Order: sequence, then C-alpha cells, then structure tokens
Amino acid sequence: MFLLQIENLHATAGGQEVLRGIDLEIGPGEVHAIMGPNGSGKSTLSYVLSGREGYEVTEGSVTFQGKDLLDMEANERANEGVFLAFQYPVEIPGVAGMTFLKEAFNAKLRYSGEPEANAMEFLKMVREKAKALSMSDEMLRRPVNVGFSGGEKKRNEILQMAVLEPMLSVLDETDSGLDIDALKVVSDGINALRSPDRSMLLITHYQRLLNHIEPDYVHVLANGRIQCSGSKELALELEANGYSGFEGEAA
Amino acid sequence: MANNDAKSQPFTALIEEATSRAPENTPSWLAELNMQAAKRYAQVGWPHARAEYWKYTNLNKLAAGAFALGDPAALAAVPRERILPLDGPQLLLVNGAFRSDLSDISDLPDGLSLRNLAETTEQDRAILGALIEETISADGLPFAAVNTAVLTDVLILEFAPGIATERPVHVISLGGGDGAAFAPRLVIRAGDGAVVDVVESHVGTGGYFADVVTQVSVARDARLGHYKMQNETLDAFHIALTTTEVAEGAVYDSFVLSTGARMARNEIRGTITGGKAEYRINGAYMGNGEQHLDNTTFVDHAAAGSRSREIYKGVLAGASRGVFQGKILVRPDAQQSDGFQMNRAMLLSNKAEVDSKPELEIYADDVRCSHGATVGELEEEQLFYLQTRGIERNLARRLLVSAYIDEAIDEVQNPAVKEAFKQMAAYWLSENLTRNIR
Ligand SMILES: Nc1ncnc2c1ncn2[C@@H]1O[C@H](COP(=O)(O)OP(=O)(O)OP(=O)(O)O)[C@@H](O)[C@H]1O
Ligand SMILES: [Mg+2]
Repeated sequence: MFLLQIENLHATAGGQEVLRGIDLEIGPGEVHAIMGPNGSGKSTLSYVLSGREGYEVTEGSVTFQGKDLLDMEANERANEGVFLAFQYPVEIPGVAGMTFLKEAFNAKLRYSGEPEANAMEFLKMVREKAKALSMSDEMLRRPVNVGFSGGEKKRNEILQMAVLEPMLSVLDETDSGLDIDALKVVSDGINALRSPDRSMLLITHYQRLLNHIEPDYVHVLANGRIQCSGSKELALELEANGYSGFEGEAA
Repeated sequence: MANNDAKSQPFTALIEEATSRAPENTPSWLAELNMQAAKRYAQVGWPHARAEYWKYTNLNKLAAGAFALGDPAALAAVPRERILPLDGPQLLLVNGAFRSDLSDISDLPDGLSLRNLAETTEQDRAILGALIEETISADGLPFAAVNTAVLTDVLILEFAPGIATERPVHVISLGGGDGAAFAPRLVIRAGDGAVVDVVESHVGTGGYFADVVTQVSVARDARLGHYKMQNETLDAFHIALTTTEVAEGAVYDSFVLSTGARMARNEIRGTITGGKAEYRINGAYMGNGEQHLDNTTFVDHAAAGSRSREIYKGVLAGASRGVFQGKILVRPDAQQSDGFQMNRAMLLSNKAEVDSKPELEIYADDVRCSHGATVGELEEEQLFYLQTRGIERNLARRLLVSAYIDEAIDEVQNPAVKEAFKQMAAYWLSENLTRNIR
C-alpha cells in the first residue's frame, strides 16, 4: 500500500489554476525528489498537502495512510503524520521555541489520546536533538524564527521534524540558503529520520542535496504537472541540461 | 459647553442623597469639601455628546442608569479568581469604604502609614481639596467632582522616605450589588527615596457604578510601582481618574490591565515636576461582547530632562470597542524631554473596533517625542504555521494573542506583579477565546 497517493490533483492558488493534474504515489520508506522551474507549482503542492487556506482543490484526490487527506484540517493532517518544512519559515513573535515545540508535541499526544509529555524528559529530548543540529539552548529560548538567519530558520524546521517524527516529511527547498557545513548537518538530520516506514518528499533546485540524501525517484514538475519521472540520474541530467524539453505545454 | 441646567444632570440626585444621608457627626471640613465638589460638578456639567474629551466614549447608558449610594457595610465575598494573585497585605474597600475588619493588615510594611477619613491630617485634606481645583481645567473631570461630592471615606497610604517594600500593598475595591454607586478614593504618597509597590484590583458583583479617584505623588528619587487590574463585572460601569505627580529623579511605573466592565474609562493624568524622572504608564485592554474600554492619558512634562514612556496594547473580540487617547504636553521650559507613546490594537472580529488618538503638544525646541498607533489582526500565516505543527486553530489563536499581550505586560518592572498580570491575561483568553471565531 502507498503511504501517499495523489490522483489527478488540480488546485488553484489565489483563484488561478496552478496544479493541473498531479499524479504521484509514495510508498513507505521512499524518498522522492521534485524539481522544476520557478513558479511551476512545487510550493503550491506542499501547501495543498498541508491544508493551507487560499489553495483550493478543484479536482482529484489525496489519500494518506488510507484516509482522505483533503478532508482534514491542517492540524489534523500534521497529527496524522504529515510535516511541511517551509520554504520560508514563519516568524512567531513572543512564542519561545521551546514552548512552541512543547505545544506541538502535546497536540500530537492529545490527538492520539495519550497523556501530555513529562516536561523534564521533553526538555532533555529536545536539547539532544537540537545539539545534533548544532542549535544552542539560546535559540530555543528565543521566539520562533524571530531574528534567525536564513540557515538557522531551515535548521529550526528540521529540529521540529526531528521532534515530531512525522510519517511523511515534505521539505520545500530546505537546502536553499544553507552553507556547505549546514547542508551536511541538516542532511544528516533528515537522514536520521529515514526508516522503512517513513517517507519524504524533497523539493529542491539543486543536485547537491541529493548527494547527501539519496532519492529513490526524481520527478520534474512543470506547468502544474509532473512531466517526467526517473531515478536519481534524472537530477544529474537536469543539472547539466536545464528544464528545456521538460516543460510540457504551457497554460 | 457645560449643561447649564444643573438640576437635570445625571447624578445630581445621587449627590443630594449623599448630602441628606451624611451623619450628624460629619466633620465640617468634609461637609465643606463635599459641598464645594457638588458646586463644581454643577458648573462643569455632564459631558455633552460632542465634547472632544469624551468623543469616543458615549455616556448615555451610564446617564440612563438608576443608581443609589452603595452600602459601605454590605457584606460580599471577594471573587478571588478575579483579583491579581499576589502575596502580601490586602486592604479591602467595600463600596468605597475602607473595611479594616475584612482587610489583612497583619504585616503591613514598616514605614507605611495607613489612614482612613477619620485619621486624615491637614495635609491629606489639602490634597483631597486640591483635586477640586483641577476639575476647573479645560477637560472638566466631572466624575472626580462627583467622587468628591459623595465622599464618605478615603484610604491614604503614605510611605515614609527611604523605605522599601518587599511585597506590594494590594488594595481591593469591591463593588456590591445592582444599582450601587460608590466612590473609592485613594491617596498614595511615596516619600523621598522610598521604593514601594501598590496594586489595585477592582472587582464586584452585580451592575454597579464605580467612580474611582486615586491621587499619587512620587517624591524625589522615590520609585513607585502602581499597578491596576480593572476586572469589574460585565454589568458594571467603571470610571477612574488617577492623578500623578512625579518629582526629580523619581520613577513611576504604572500598568493597567482592563478586562472587566461593560463600560470603563481609565484616565491617568501625570505631571513631571523635576528632571531625571522616569514616568512609565503602560497597559493592556482585552474586550469581548459589547464591552467598551477607554484608556485616556495626559502627560505634562513641566520640567526639563525627564522621560515618559507609554505602551498600550489591546485585544478586542466580539463587538467590543477600545479607545486610546493619549496626549503629551511639553512645556517651554521642559527642554531635553523624551516622550514616547504607542497604542497597538489587535481586532479578533470584524465587529470589534478601536479608536486611537495620540497627540503631541510641544512648546520646547530641544525634545525627543514620538507617538504612533497600529491596528492589526491575527496573521493568517502564523496561524497556519502553528496548525501545520499539529496545534488546533483555537489554541494557535490563544498562543499568538497571549504572546502579543504578554509583550505589553513585560513592561511591568515588578516581577511578581508581571507574572500575576500574565496569569490574568491567560485566564481572560481561556474564558473568551474558546469558540472558533474566524
Ligand atoms: N496565494 C497565491 N496567490 C496568487 N498566486 C499564487 C499564490 N500562490 C502561488 N501562486 C502562483 O502559483 C504559481 C506557482 O507558485 P509556487 O510557489 O507553487 O511555485 P514554486 O514551484 O514553488 O516556485 P519556486 O521554485 O520559485 O519556489 C506561481 O505563478 C505563483 O505566482
Ligand atoms: Mg517554492
């Protein structure tokens, strides 16, 4: 059975059709990469999967672990195990990183009918995971993402993913803005979560991320449709030749 | 223009009732004070509908209410969960009268002299009377005149020079019963170099009218933390005036959290009379339903080289309405004054409203003054971000609003009081942001 099954997905963003019939199946443990030109609809796909307002599905279906994902609120999708690492992580003034993580973690426990986490144990667990991502305690005390550098924000996304341990992680350009060392740290963080039942959807423009996290499949998204799918070699080909020939018909 | 037909004014009958009910043994100075205030009220008059000073706060519902003087001997239980949760001495006022029998004065700080009406000194009486003179000012202050006209008790807190309190002195004003009108009157004096905190909690039961006056002076190099929780019932009216005098080198740190009352006006008028003084008046207001919460402030830089700082934040749900009127006056001699004023409001529904009117009136040329006002809503992007982390939309709203308000409360310099205010704000959020409002 597939973990995620997207069938003929059409969606509009701001009233305009952006996704024009996406078909994608992700099995347990698989890593899929999506590449494609700017404005082709990659982030839109990530928002549609995570339930953002203003992104309206006009046709098609998305099934996650046998359930209709499109029927759920954004927080339900998260608690069912879908995680989105944002291309542009959002700043939350006044809410400390640690508080934010605890609220998220407890929301998940509540959702599955379990008692809330022991505060001390939780703190310890987060500190360990933060350390592995070279994030200081000070960053956890600061308001979420406020005043963080671009790279720090991306690292913070991965910390949240590490704490919440989602079944499906959608990572939208998590590699953009990372220096070479940070790319390694973040990739290690992502790889640490790979397992036979957890899957990932990596949205990226660059082959270099795929050197660290080897994908099982690479897809080219252009003009709101997956134009081509292949193995990891496809990414190399794209890096060499660009997207010409993969663009499909324009709107 | 004042209403000339004094007989037809609201509360004239109330003042007459007070006069006729005054006991035989009323000291002559008090009878005289009451009378002068009644006269002043007749002159000043009820604010008419177009009065600039009351532009955003309509008093018709208050005028239409039928009020009789509240019973100072009434027995009512203090709604504990509605007052600021703080350790320390508690002074209880019931319908404006100090009740030593219900107060906890076992460990008042050394150096605090506590006096009620019968114990007032010449100087206390001069202070009480001085407010009558102030009511002549352009703005009228009719409710201070009414307060003084019906006055039967006062609570004077005088802190001796140089003393420091560990825990704040908590004054709890309890309003009792439907239709009760009462006039709490506080005088707070911090002597030279004293470092002290006074807290007020205003609560009650039923639909009443609290006409509150607090007169504050902070002497040379003293520091007064003066904090107020306005948490009246949602059927009550609360109109309060605080006057403040801040001397050279003194710090006045004030915070007002308004969550209660169907209609509330909290007005703070301050004069900075010396240099190197720090005048801090901050606050937050949180409204829902049909509540109307007015915050009016006036800062008078009457001496050179002092700072004033004012940050108010509001959260308005339902069809509630917030008002912020703030004025900074810098007199010609008050060079090197530094004034800052900001009102931020967050509207949680499209029926909520806020009116902001910040004002600068500057006659000195070497000053730094700025002011501003913003109105916003919850950021959809932030809500979504929290939701993608599994947090329910309602909880996400509460977290964001709480962070927003806590940032204002962070201005409070006393750590225990700051924590207490945050608890009250969180309590308000849990009571008022439970439904899914878009
Ligand atoms: N809320 C919106 N309102 C209007 N147009 C939108 C909205 N969101 C996305 N779009 C449009 O949809 C198209 C796809 O945008 P999307 O962000 O999904 O592209 P992308 O593939 O992620 O691009 P990039 O590689 O630059 O991140 C763009 O033309 C964009 O302008
Ligand atoms: Mg994108």
